[in-house]
Amino acid sequence: MAASPFASRSPSITVASPNTAIRLKAAAAQSGSESTDVKTSSQSHGELTEQLNDSVAQNYERGKKLGEGTYAVVYQGHRRDTATTVAIKKIKVNADYKDGLAMDAIREVKYLQELSHPNVIALHDVFSKNENLHLVLEFLPGGDLEMLIRDQNVQYGAADIKAWMGMLARGVWFCHENFVLHRDIKPNNLLIAADGEVKLADFGLARSFADPYLNMTHQVITRWYRPPELLYGARQYSGAVDIWSMGMVFAELLLRVPFVAGNSDLDQIAKISEAFGTPNKDNWPGVEALPLYIETDKNSIIPTSGRDFFLRQFPTAGPVGADLLMSMCTLDPRKRITAVQTLRHDWWTIDPQPTKNADLPRKRKSAEKKMGEDLSRRGGEIGISDGPFKNAARQLDFGGK
Amino acid sequence: MIEDTIYRTSSQYRVWSYTEESLQSLRASTNTIASDRVRVTLRRTRDAPQSATGTPQPGSDVDSKEEKPIDCLTPEEELVFVRYYCESLLELGDEYKPPLPTTLRATAIQYLRRFYLTNSPMTYHPKKIMACALFLATKTDNYYMSLQKFSEAIPGSPSAEEVIAPEFLLMQGLRFTFDIRHPFRGLEGGIMELSAIAEGQGQPTPILPHQTAQSLKQALLSIAPPPTPSSSITDRIGRAHNGTRELLKTAAQMTDAYFLYTPSQIWLSAFLLSDRPLCEFYLETKLGGPIIPSTNSDSDPSTPLDPLVELRTKLSKVLSDCSALLQGYTPLSSDPAQIKNLKRIAKKHYKCQNPEGLNMAQKRDSAQPPTSASATDSGPATSESETERLAKKRKLEEQKRGAQDLFGGELVPDRTKGQ
Repeated sequence: MAASPFASRSPSITVASPNTAIRLKAAAAQSGSESTDVKTSSQSHGELTEQLNDSVAQNYERGKKLGEGTYAVVYQGHRRDTATTVAIKKIKVNADYKDGLAMDAIREVKYLQELSHPNVIALHDVFSKNENLHLVLEFLPGGDLEMLIRDQNVQYGAADIKAWMGMLARGVWFCHENFVLHRDIKPNNLLIAADGEVKLADFGLARSFADPYLNMTHQVITRWYRPPELLYGARQYSGAVDIWSMGMVFAELLLRVPFVAGNSDLDQIAKISEAFGTPNKDNWPGVEALPLYIETDKNSIIPTSGRDFFLRQFPTAGPVGADLLMSMCTLDPRKRITAVQTLRHDWWTIDPQPTKNADLPRKRKSAEKKMGEDLSRRGGEIGISDGPFKNAARQLDFGGK
Repeated sequence: MIEDTIYRTSSQYRVWSYTEESLQSLRASTNTIASDRVRVTLRRTRDAPQSATGTPQPGSDVDSKEEKPIDCLTPEEELVFVRYYCESLLELGDEYKPPLPTTLRATAIQYLRRFYLTNSPMTYHPKKIMACALFLATKTDNYYMSLQKFSEAIPGSPSAEEVIAPEFLLMQGLRFTFDIRHPFRGLEGGIMELSAIAEGQGQPTPILPHQTAQSLKQALLSIAPPPTPSSSITDRIGRAHNGTRELLKTAAQMTDAYFLYTPSQIWLSAFLLSDRPLCEFYLETKLGGPIIPSTNSDSDPSTPLDPLVELRTKLSKVLSDCSALLQGYTPLSSDPAQIKNLKRIAKKHYKCQNPEGLNMAQKRDSAQPPTSASATDSGPATSESETERLAKKRKLEEQKRGAQDLFGGELVPDRTKGQ
């Protein structure tokens, strides 16, 4: 997939999708024969649109509950015809939000409908049942990266990290190639399939790239993974925000603890400065213009960390890996490496080769429950009632004008 | 991975692209199903007062010969009726300060058009759906405002509950796909490229290596004159830009263009209508050309056709079809004959509305909110007598509100209705 990442700009000459038409036509014909029946027409679910919905809903059988959060309930389920196991996420409608379907659900459905890639969780179908929204998602019983990072019984090395990071990088690249920002990349949003494949999940904060000059909200991405430009209140930003988060995941995989874990937004900036150097107009021209930027006293400016720092701090990565990490953690978002450049980095091709999926370390016990927890959580939340995450993200500030 | 591959994974292609025939047959099915339901429901409602228990025998009233046949809308009439509300939707966007962005309105219009592919306006009145479509578009297009604030700007000030009531129904009709690929961004890109060429900064296309920034500029300056004279090439590009944009805002929204063509085909077709020589030039910078009917290939069929020429020929056909579709559009409000027709349809529509459908849209108001997510999935079936009661209640309310309704009342004055 990554071999030819550039889209050609030639106009499309596809005309129409006969398949869809035939599918809809078949459904129409099927329902048409029943429509003369008084019984059918007296039901309130007779309109063609409802018949189409019901035919989707009937494809799935719901099984045991995997998890429940404030936002959704997740069940295991399966397709009736193929017996494929799926996860069914039932969105709680109007839990505390008066303006119709919550934005999290709207965004998640909107973007997952468009993104189809091995490293992005697949949305197989969406249907409604009794005015509840049901998302049929890929079943990912392998838990998430956070679980593997925290579990002291799980041993892993550079080759494993390279495999996981490679899958993450391909997923992020695909989102950006489709003009979608994820805006909540962190270890517990990186779920693991039965075959070991890493999948980017939870698109509840995602959005498409804004047109030039239009503002976006800076209240996104869980704090420990949030880049300095967002902490400084930038309203116009790019895929570079996701790359920073990716860098933080990379560092955390190497250290097995979050690398810069501030306990407030200000503390987060302080910790970032300590680790990578104080952002200033020399290493980041224009930073002083950001709304929440606070100039640091000349005497307390910490110099920008060089290659030596990364090598010392992350010996497991090796010099080339440390170089990649450094490019992801560049303070100035315009100088930060892009998703495409990440995929072209030398680190992927040098030894050690990335571990094959089948040989990747995993939890011995099934981690279905973990999937249930991950999927029923609202973005920006963390399972434990952890202080630092409480006010992250999800505050509805949509950056109008 | 080329752009076409990406487009083919989009929901707009997967779910919402049709051939003309499949589109027509889908609309016919929707209409047939809705018409049958309307007839049954209206007969039952009409017969209800005679039945003391409120439970008429299903089937018994179907053959009653004394009744006048219920005249339902045809698929063509439905389409005109919905189009009127799409045009209103475009105007509704001006009620906001600042006015809602063009793409957001376009999204809402496409929502409405998609919704009525599998739903009939006889079942769900577009008046009730359109505000909700616009509100949903504010959410999906990242232009968020509170429902309260949104509702207040609408003429007639419907309540927030009224606006949001059909949201779920609407999303279901949209088959839970919210992303709409508009032609506007492509147009902006094309105009930027042409402006760059005019300034001598053009980027040669990799497949046409003989191009240089200078040769591109020379070629641009030597194309045939525009339909209306312009003072400079910049002026010409600007006019073509505006003309195309206007077509994309109107004709592209109100016709079946989005169902039949891709965003790039749509903007190029509109561009072709605005300034044909300029559009042809743009295509030549990408694909070479112009197409000259070749005599050589006729004489020797074994010679493979130049793939670029083949592509260009294919594209040219598609663009001229799409242009014809766009050109055939005139706004309802500017055409007396169309207005007359619309009034006739509105009158007819009034007599063949399905009272059950509108209840369905309002169900959210009256229904108990789900108390817990683990609540049983077997929803309460609305009894027939309940349905009739609601239908009557609705009718009463509707009469009370009369002309104060959403968007300045009915198309047909109350007095002439229902006779």
